[in-house]
Amino acid sequence: MNHLPQAWGRPRNAILGAYNPSILQPSGPKAHTTSPIVTGTSVLAVKFKDGVVIAADNLASYGSLARFTDVKRLRTFNRRTVVGFGGDVSDMQYLDRLLLSLDIEENYGSSGHDLNALNLHTYLAKVMYKRRSDINPLWNQLLVAGLDGLDQPFLSSVDLLGTTFSSPTLATGFGAHLAQPLLRKVVDDEAKVGSVTREQATNAVRECMKVLFYRDARSLDKYSIAVITKDGVELKEDEELENQSWAFAEMIKGYGTQTV
Amino acid sequence: MSSPFSINGGACVAMVGKDCVAIACDLRLGLQSLTVSNNFPKIFPYGDVYLGLTGLATDVTTVADLFRYKVNMYRLREERQISPQTMANLVSTSLYEKRFGPYFVSPVIAGINHTTGKPFICGFDSIGCIDFAKDFIVSGTASDQLFGTCEGLWEPDMEPEDLFETISQALLNAVDRDALSGWGAYVYVIEKDKVTKRLLKGRQD
Amino acid sequence: MLNANSPLASGPSYSFATPPNQTSTNIKQHSFNPYTDNGGSTLGITGDDFAILAGDTRSTSGYNINTRYAPKVFKIGEDDGTGESAHIVLSVVGFAADGNALKERLNAIVKMYRYQHGKPMSVKACAQRLSTILYGKRFFPYYVHAILGGLDEEGKGALYSYDPVGSYEREQCRAAGAAASLIMPFLDNQVNFKNQYIPGSGEGHALEARKATPLPRAEVEQLVRDAFTSAVERHIEVGDGLQMLVVTKNGIEEIYDPLKKD
Repeated sequence: MNHLPQAWGRPRNAILGAYNPSILQPSGPKAHTTSPIVTGTSVLAVKFKDGVVIAADNLASYGSLARFTDVKRLRTFNRRTVVGFGGDVSDMQYLDRLLLSLDIEENYGSSGHDLNALNLHTYLAKVMYKRRSDINPLWNQLLVAGLDGLDQPFLSSVDLLGTTFSSPTLATGFGAHLAQPLLRKVVDDEAKVGSVTREQATNAVRECMKVLFYRDARSLDKYSIAVITKDGVELKEDEELENQSWAFAEMIKGYGTQTV
Repeated sequence: MSSPFSINGGACVAMVGKDCVAIACDLRLGLQSLTVSNNFPKIFPYGDVYLGLTGLATDVTTVADLFRYKVNMYRLREERQISPQTMANLVSTSLYEKRFGPYFVSPVIAGINHTTGKPFICGFDSIGCIDFAKDFIVSGTASDQLFGTCEGLWEPDMEPEDLFETISQALLNAVDRDALSGWGAYVYVIEKDKVTKRLLKGRQD
Repeated sequence: MLNANSPLASGPSYSFATPPNQTSTNIKQHSFNPYTDNGGSTLGITGDDFAILAGDTRSTSGYNINTRYAPKVFKIGEDDGTGESAHIVLSVVGFAADGNALKERLNAIVKMYRYQHGKPMSVKACAQRLSTILYGKRFFPYYVHAILGGLDEEGKGALYSYDPVGSYEREQCRAAGAAASLIMPFLDNQVNFKNQYIPGSGEGHALEARKATPLPRAEVEQLVRDAFTSAVERHIEVGDGLQMLVVTKNGIEEIYDPLKKD
């Protein structure tokens, strides 16, 4: 031990060379998230006449590695709303804790009035927009599904930039390319939401989860699905894709069935 | 603004009417924001066919001369005038020959086919992809503006007088919203047995 | 060696307080881009006693359509609580999240003005305030082109257009957003009669230009529709729906027309 406390507890220079504290830069730029690390892929949701169906698979990827295969990316709030998370999983967990504390705060002074899906979406949009304005974004795209103040189906999206939009069908990530066109075949207009049944909506979502599993390399055949109606949330977190058909794969070189 | 297509500036437009076509261009030649000439026409007649060329001025001149040579050779060999359709294919193949070192021009063709009597217009990208349009073709630095004015003003089966008014208004108002185009215009109205060439003054700023 | 572990003069230091000798000059990092473009176009035209603000309802990110119904034109200063109806309209096009934030800020300010002064804010005052708000974020701008509409103190249609950092001007008509370059020259011609002359009024320079006069409402509405149907044909970010807010002395009327969805 020498007279420099800064040197205590560290290997002698002779062993590893001088310690390089540049990783602890006091004067350098403060590091914020500039790219997501562990990520979740698509979230899908469709409105129907009494509510909303929302689904996301249970995979958290680390780059191309399927790292965690049992991560639940749908979160209920107030037993009336479900938030689906795409993007960075650590930021998802931060938002999860944030929503938990919001829930506790709101329910302490219980006035009988609780936050509905629209309220929650507004809150999350402000959180996301604040963070992007601080150039310290939460690297997610969220779908908020539930019922609004008039008990009408509500579905809306927020992303890491604070951009918000709402539509009868929504899909994040890869799903925006693959699933959204299929879902729009079921409901392409807000006016037609009233004629879509719960079965139609769930079937469409399940079919899309299958299509995504076929073609999205960062997806999984285990997924969560939630149906939100006036009666509450029915959340199933351990669903598996059924009736998969890989017949198409035989036609394609690179799927491994051909030898030449 | 270092794209070769927008150094010199310029605009060109062609439109179809009832048994007639029109083609028009502005007269500006610039070097970025500096105007060096207000008499640089971009339409070149080749017998019955009219070729409009916008883009890099040196290429406009080169390509115009190249096609004068090619069309003259065609006429001498074939002993007839080139038709607009044949001209379109000639332009397309000539441009594609320079696929990996293109002329920086966006050509427009207008004319009446004297065998069929039908009006014909078309446009190209700089490597010869043909755009056969039934209504109008635009090119140059004011192409966005021209798309807006043409889409708003054009209607089918216009008589030559109406076609002249329409193409003139479309061009003049478009180039007034483009800093790199303007300073007067030429308008050709092509009918079966008559071609009218008019000089429009336009804004001089 | 007594100082085996002490920092080398040329090498790095241990303490947070001692500045590192090795200056980090070539720091490479990814960066986060806080902006995006959500496409779409807006348009405003005034008449003698009305102002129209219109915008398409498509929201895009890249080649994706986020939704076919995302309004870009808003009423400002409306209050359900007091029944106070709005008399100012605002359109924002560009980065939608900034657009919404701007709208909400202006909305709050116009309401507060009503509560504090006991009278509605004039369009002129609101226009100046909007400029100040935009300039307030001069070094991290709201990435939007805003247009503000309403009726002035004399009851005439008023329209103000802005750049992202607050430069503004009162105008008769203005197009903004993705298809602004397509729509604006058409408006010059059809609203301000640019390049139009009175037939037979003279030869050459003696030719008299046609004077711009305020257009009747039905004609303006049709011009707006024509401008947008034209823009839809040639711009991929414009389409789905057309929303119009018409301000008259009787209040604000909302009109929605479908546009092509392709």
